Amino acid sequence: MMKIYIDDREVHVEKGMTVFKAAENAGIEIPHLCYHPAFPPEGTCRMCLVEIEGLPKLELACSTQVKDGMKVHTKSEKVVEARKGVLEFLLAEHPMDCPICDQAGDCKLQDYYEEYGLFENNFSESKERREKKIRLGKHLIHDNERCVLCRRCVRFLREVVGTGEMGVFERGIATEVNILDGMPIDNNYSGNLAQLCPVGAITDTDFRFQTRSWFLEKGEAICPLCSRGCNIFIEHHRGFSRFDLPKRVYRISARENAEINSYWICDIGRYGYYSLDENRAEKIIANNNISIKNYEAVLAFFTEKIKRLLYKKKTSRITLLLNTFLTNEELFLLKKIFQDDLGIKNIFFIDPPAGESDAILLTSDRTPNKKGAEELGFEITPFELGNLADETEVLIIFGNYIAEIFSLSDIQAYFDRIKDTFLFTPHRSELDSKVGIMFPTAMTPEKGGSLTNVDGKIQKFSPVLEAPGDGKAEWKILAELGTKLDVNFKYYKKFLSPEEIFRQMQKEIPFFEK
Amino acid sequence: MKEKVLSEHFSIDNFFKLDVYLKHNGYQAVKKALTELNPEKILKEAKAANLRGRGGAGFPAGVKWGFVPQNGDKPKYMCVNADEGEPGTIKDRYIMTHNPHLLLEGIIISSYCVGINTAYIYIRGEYENIALRLETAIDEAFQKGFLGKDILGSGFDLDITIHRGAGAYICGEETALLESLEGKRGNPRLKPPFPASIGLFQCPTVINNVETLANIPSIILKGAEWFCALGLPNDGGTRIFGVSGMVKNPGIYELPVGTNLKDLIFKYAGGMKEGKKLKAVIPGGMSSPILKADEIDITMDSDTLMKADSMIGSGAVIVLDEDTSILDVLTIITKFYSHESCGQCTPCRIGNSWIKKIVTRISRGEGKDGDIDNIARLASNMVGKTLCPLGDAAAMPILSIVKKFRDELETSIK
Repeated sequence: MMKIYIDDREVHVEKGMTVFKAAENAGIEIPHLCYHPAFPPEGTCRMCLVEIEGLPKLELACSTQVKDGMKVHTKSEKVVEARKGVLEFLLAEHPMDCPICDQAGDCKLQDYYEEYGLFENNFSESKERREKKIRLGKHLIHDNERCVLCRRCVRFLREVVGTGEMGVFERGIATEVNILDGMPIDNNYSGNLAQLCPVGAITDTDFRFQTRSWFLEKGEAICPLCSRGCNIFIEHHRGFSRFDLPKRVYRISARENAEINSYWICDIGRYGYYSLDENRAEKIIANNNISIKNYEAVLAFFTEKIKRLLYKKKTSRITLLLNTFLTNEELFLLKKIFQDDLGIKNIFFIDPPAGESDAILLTSDRTPNKKGAEELGFEITPFELGNLADETEVLIIFGNYIAEIFSLSDIQAYFDRIKDTFLFTPHRSELDSKVGIMFPTAMTPEKGGSLTNVDGKIQKFSPVLEAPGDGKAEWKILAELGTKLDVNFKYYKKFLSPEEIFRQMQKEIPFFEK
Repeated sequence: MKEKVLSEHFSIDNFFKLDVYLKHNGYQAVKKALTELNPEKILKEAKAANLRGRGGAGFPAGVKWGFVPQNGDKPKYMCVNADEGEPGTIKDRYIMTHNPHLLLEGIIISSYCVGINTAYIYIRGEYENIALRLETAIDEAFQKGFLGKDILGSGFDLDITIHRGAGAYICGEETALLESLEGKRGNPRLKPPFPASIGLFQCPTVINNVETLANIPSIILKGAEWFCALGLPNDGGTRIFGVSGMVKNPGIYELPVGTNLKDLIFKYAGGMKEGKKLKAVIPGGMSSPILKADEIDITMDSDTLMKADSMIGSGAVIVLDEDTSILDVLTIITKFYSHESCGQCTPCRIGNSWIKKIVTRISRGEGKDGDIDNIARLASNMVGKTLCPLGDAAAMPILSIVKKFRDELETSIK
């Protein structure tokens, strides 16, 4: 450990640390554009210049390593003047089209101008005209006038993805970044570029001109679309009182987690948010002349059907179809109720088919909690329609992936033999008319709980959004079912939140203790 | 007649050929260095000679070699900077054209001294004929056993490869040169690390200018003391001054370090053309701050010119007469640097372009009040704030012109 002084404050640092990092740890922010913690220092934007006592010139905070006793000034007159100077250069060639720029409100240039600039415009020459709408790839559009040439995009594609679609062209004032000839960016990590861009140069076609960043709230969530468990922000709009918005979620962005996803997420996760607002199941559907309108009635009906078989000691006539989107807590309750309390053996899993994995983040599982299910003691038996025992009277299905895998007519043929089918799903599908009761459920960001990622890391999360319509989180339905079944009802009484279920899991299953 | 180290034999016919070169004591220095001296002795001699780098920065060559770590397991490289691009500079082309084997000797001795087995000559792209001549010289040296394996039975191996640049001024900056040599875009690297520890292909690397290395053979043969005595105590030897502009006899003049600039222009270069009056001198290539006519009674060496707020740079003296418009000079300077900025860092990329835009507007007759102040302010915002020395190289001459010729510039506005 060494001691340095930043703005006259004593800061303890480790050998090899940069001045930037030392300042950051001490809560002192140093302006920067090209520096990004994921890459080695680039040193080209020149915004992070600081004064170090004893050195003749200003030095870069991003690349200068600390020395014992070093005295650094990040806000001295000399430093502020230099920052102003660099900022003035950047703004001289910047198009200043903030009113129509997606980055506005979330833009480093704007922030720094407010902090260090606020100067008169001395630039009376004509700005360089450059291409403002270059299609870089499926999700990306590049505006070369807004670009500050931090080259984060170029470095990301070379150093993180390894595909290297972008390069620097020309020199001097004509310098531009662009894709190489015939190399559009169509890799699965392209969306990170728009998030990585410190200004509004690279924009996301998905988000372009949709809303202003200051209307968005960032909710911390876990991506449920593969078993990596990347940390994300769900950026959603609360709406206006006077008119309805077409959707709640406007974008998903990567949330830093050094142990799991660093600063990145894949495009599958980033653009997977449509399912939060599209085709949602909001109202209870009851077929076969069942007259049921609300949650309480569904629960009573559901409980009654199960109890009937329980009293007849014929619970083997119940079959359960689960999936690994369900949280640890939900799977735990399912196991307790159906396996332990009711002794049901016909439990199967039906998940979306596995996909390609890559060496960066994406795993082949397309669900977030397969590992959690395994650790809870479930045997993940893939479901075939033939698994449905002839004697099955009650079929309980979570999720509608069955409709993605089997043809509807085959499903129909099997369902016709079953008296009562219950479907708990967040989405509408053709299955809705084939079951007795369809009850809408919450999607992962609409409930709390925990997921166990591919490496066995347990991540807890809280709801970011509310489930639409009558939708309810499965853990809630299951906890209430548990109290109504007359088997072990006291046990389930305390489960008023996922946290309480988790605590019980920790008591019973060593894996969750850590 | 002053003693010459580099250009003594320039006038001998076919001196660039090995057989002629050998008749004039050729490769005796290599022979001495490799068979009689060891690397430590050579390094000591080079340091004692006070040979300062001739590329522009004036860093002592021996000290530079001493920075290379000797105990690593990585290979070490020598890069010869022959990317002579500083406007006004013509010295290296003369050395390589007329005395290529002298350069090769310098490369062999310094490589032997530092323990290098691979050397690259990064030569300016436009010097095509010179590159061919160097190629021939290298082939000849290989055939005679001065290059290749086990040179002169010493057990020392050296390979030399020529790499031609593609026309970018910035590739004369040593780290941009390394990037270019590695096949990448010629952008300067962030320093530290310095090339002596992490250079070409991430290995320890020595980068020296052509003229610097060409001095080595004479130092080996005649000794550091002799070399030092040619010039000044801490800036030894001679320099090839390339005099251009409005003098009677433009050309190269090899003279001792510390020669008076006034003598160089009026005694050696024959004085002003057509009897015109001297207006100003750019003493060390375009990036050196300008000297007014009354400031030229000054000795040409690194320290003295630095004290005069200018620099000796590459020793390229550009002489301007009374008819030269200072606005034209400024226009040429700003156009050059805005064209040659690599575009990597903000102040140089935008500062140079902005200044060029203002100067071009003034030269169109559309100057406004405050333009000159703005030029000075913008140039100051570049000084010391760029990633590589190009920002300073551009801003310093601009600032000196604004300071020393402000009145004339102001008249261009009114």
